[in-house]
Amino acid sequence: MMSRLRELGRILLGILKEIGDENAYARHLTARGVPPSKAEWRLFSEDRMKRKYMRAKCC
Amino acid sequence: MRARTQDTKQNKGPTPVGTQAVTYRGASDAEIKNRETKPIRQRPGSGTIAESMIQKLGWALLSIVGALGLAGIALNRDEHINSMWLIVASVSIYLTAYRFYAKFIEAKVMALDDRRATPAERLRDGHDFEPTNKWIVFGHHFAAIAGPGPLVGPTLAAQFGYLPGTLWIIVGAALGGCVQDFVILFCSMRRDGKTLGQMAREEIGKVGGVVALVTVLLIMVILLAVVALVVVNALAHSPWGTFTIFATMPIAVFMGLYLRYLRPGKVLECSAIGFALVIASIFGGEAVANSPEWAPVFTYSAVALALMVIAYGFLASSLPVWLLLAPRDYLSTFVKLGVVVMLAVGILFARPELQMPAYTKFIDGSGPVFAGKIFPFCFITIACGAISGFHALISSGTTPKLIARESHATPVGYGSMLLESFVAIMAMIAACVLDPGVYFAVNSPAGIAGATPELAAATITAWGFPVDAAKMASLAKDVGEQTLFYRTGGAPSLALGMAHIFAQGGGGKAILGFWYHFAIMFEALFILTIIDAGTRVGRFMLQDLLGHIHKPLGRTNWMPGVIGCSALVVGSWGYFLYQGVKDPLGGVNTLWPLFGIANQLLASIALCVATTILLKMHRAKYLWITCLPLSWLLIVTYTAALEKIFSDLPRVGFLAQARQLEGAIAAGKVAAAKVADTQTMIFNAQLDAGICVVFLILVSIIVIDSARVWIGILRGNRDATVHESPFVLTQLKAEEV
Repeated sequence: MMSRLRELGRILLGILKEIGDENAYARHLTARGVPPSKAEWRLFSEDRMKRKYMRAKCC
Repeated sequence: MRARTQDTKQNKGPTPVGTQAVTYRGASDAEIKNRETKPIRQRPGSGTIAESMIQKLGWALLSIVGALGLAGIALNRDEHINSMWLIVASVSIYLTAYRFYAKFIEAKVMALDDRRATPAERLRDGHDFEPTNKWIVFGHHFAAIAGPGPLVGPTLAAQFGYLPGTLWIIVGAALGGCVQDFVILFCSMRRDGKTLGQMAREEIGKVGGVVALVTVLLIMVILLAVVALVVVNALAHSPWGTFTIFATMPIAVFMGLYLRYLRPGKVLECSAIGFALVIASIFGGEAVANSPEWAPVFTYSAVALALMVIAYGFLASSLPVWLLLAPRDYLSTFVKLGVVVMLAVGILFARPELQMPAYTKFIDGSGPVFAGKIFPFCFITIACGAISGFHALISSGTTPKLIARESHATPVGYGSMLLESFVAIMAMIAACVLDPGVYFAVNSPAGIAGATPELAAATITAWGFPVDAAKMASLAKDVGEQTLFYRTGGAPSLALGMAHIFAQGGGGKAILGFWYHFAIMFEALFILTIIDAGTRVGRFMLQDLLGHIHKPLGRTNWMPGVIGCSALVVGSWGYFLYQGVKDPLGGVNTLWPLFGIANQLLASIALCVATTILLKMHRAKYLWITCLPLSWLLIVTYTAALEKIFSDLPRVGFLAQARQLEGAIAAGKVAAAKVADTQTMIFNAQLDAGICVVFLILVSIIVIDSARVWIGILRGNRDATVHESPFVLTQLKAEEV
């Protein structure tokens, strides 16, 4: 039971992190092999947002 | 049929073909061989005979429960029914549809193959393409498709009663909306995440691609106008609501600065702080509304608010994305998901009775919320709750790039739309738990109900829905508003219904005002995000189109082009918004059907693309999967569009409305001071008719173009080349997905 709840919590947190781009940022850091920093976040988020907001948001 | 497909040939072997950079990770030759001969996914029902029998019995029981639930809803006429009937019926049917229809499409029509590497695996780049846990993709996709449409549409359609809208939300989603989302997701996934426009160009022809782009741009304009109208009507003469929404802007800017300079990358933490501040602003709004000094500062007419929203749209779309749009987008998405969960829990906890009858007298087309008969306008109005063309843009956007296994497309594509449909059911419940008299008092414009609260109450009572001005005044006081009459647009009545449900969790009337403004804040927050993001997207699309005429206009870093195109996009939706707030019939009567028609026509385009691809995949015998919803959509939208253009009833037909106004001027029935305004209304009615004509022409072009391709393939005089990416055997291990 507890392990299922933990699994559910892990998935919910995963969804929130995916929506909040935190997972994507972690992947970005892993791919570049660098630690988190202001400069890396800026680099990541500017590229991410540029592409994200070129697509229509749903109604 | 003289068809050649890369797919059939390539499916026979695992040899990677093509030019994409493929990353092979970790699997041994023996493992690969094993995967070639043994399906990775166990087929359902592969347990013992007893288990299989129990499963079958369970599904049979669920189907019976769904059927009984629907019968209970449909056959009840005299008593109020409990909202749980709708919940039980819809959930049973959703589960049955998923288990049988979605799985049938998955297995027989699309033949999803878990041995096939998805673009997320083949093109993995750590940014867009990344194999992701299916439930995370499900949540991400649902967050992307959930907008104001499934909340506002059912709320407006409740004027017909709860039955017509509820039936269409359930049936339309199971047989139409979910199928569209699922098939388009599958098609995009097999094409490296290509967009709907790209697929239309490749599979149907160049004309299809251009038409899809122009249609989306036009829909964006109407969409932005109508959602802005919803916000404006909700905030007009409401200092509490206006203060709260104004406060979200500095809060979002603070979040942007926090993320950029204080705690980079901590989006969840930053959003939690933003949420706490927004909740504080709701309490602040109450203090403002109760302050004789501050209340007038935040009290604006609809026209003033419309001008502010237009100015906001222009400025916000010019600001750096990280400063306002992105942080508010994060916040509004989290709040949206949280409210959906809260509403579900609230309904299950409160189990409220529906006060609205199963159907009302307004099925004859004389409804005050919007004009038009149940057919076709119920379907046009529900729109996103059952089928949404916009979902095809999301299903061919980010989502296909995250899917790790082909079989995950079923829960993500079909399942997410079922959940969206369930949100629409909850919105229908929220609207129908209101006393019908209150519902119509809130949603009827002054031009129909009467110019004073007393007159409006008398008119609505005469329709058979008793309400009195004193009761409405008392309710308005409970929720901290000056009045609740003429609050058209759907948002205020939805907020009232939600507040009614939430307040049953504790606090009663004392907390009604907080929940009402919480719901208004939630709706306005993500609508303003749509306005900001939509204006940007519209500008990019326009620049893309105009770049073919004058190259610098296509450059996104050429400021004159950026400012000019932004102004053009804002000016376009701003014009329709202004037209809406000045409309004596409430604006929604005109704009929501236009939006619904446009949205459903976009769904028709998506289903044309899907049908073409299925045909090219030699699935002619299963074409009814897409042709059934496509035929229905074409019948509904063409009928609605033609009625909006040519109906003799001025409240329905744009041209009839223009003729009536021209006649009034000619007969001298319009005061001299109002002639200019009336002439503007005539022009607007003709413009709206023109927009409908353009929509019909655009979609006719793509339907005819598609039909030409279909007939060619079926007759054997056209190549049926599918443009799928080549088959590559997956190297992902079970623990990676």
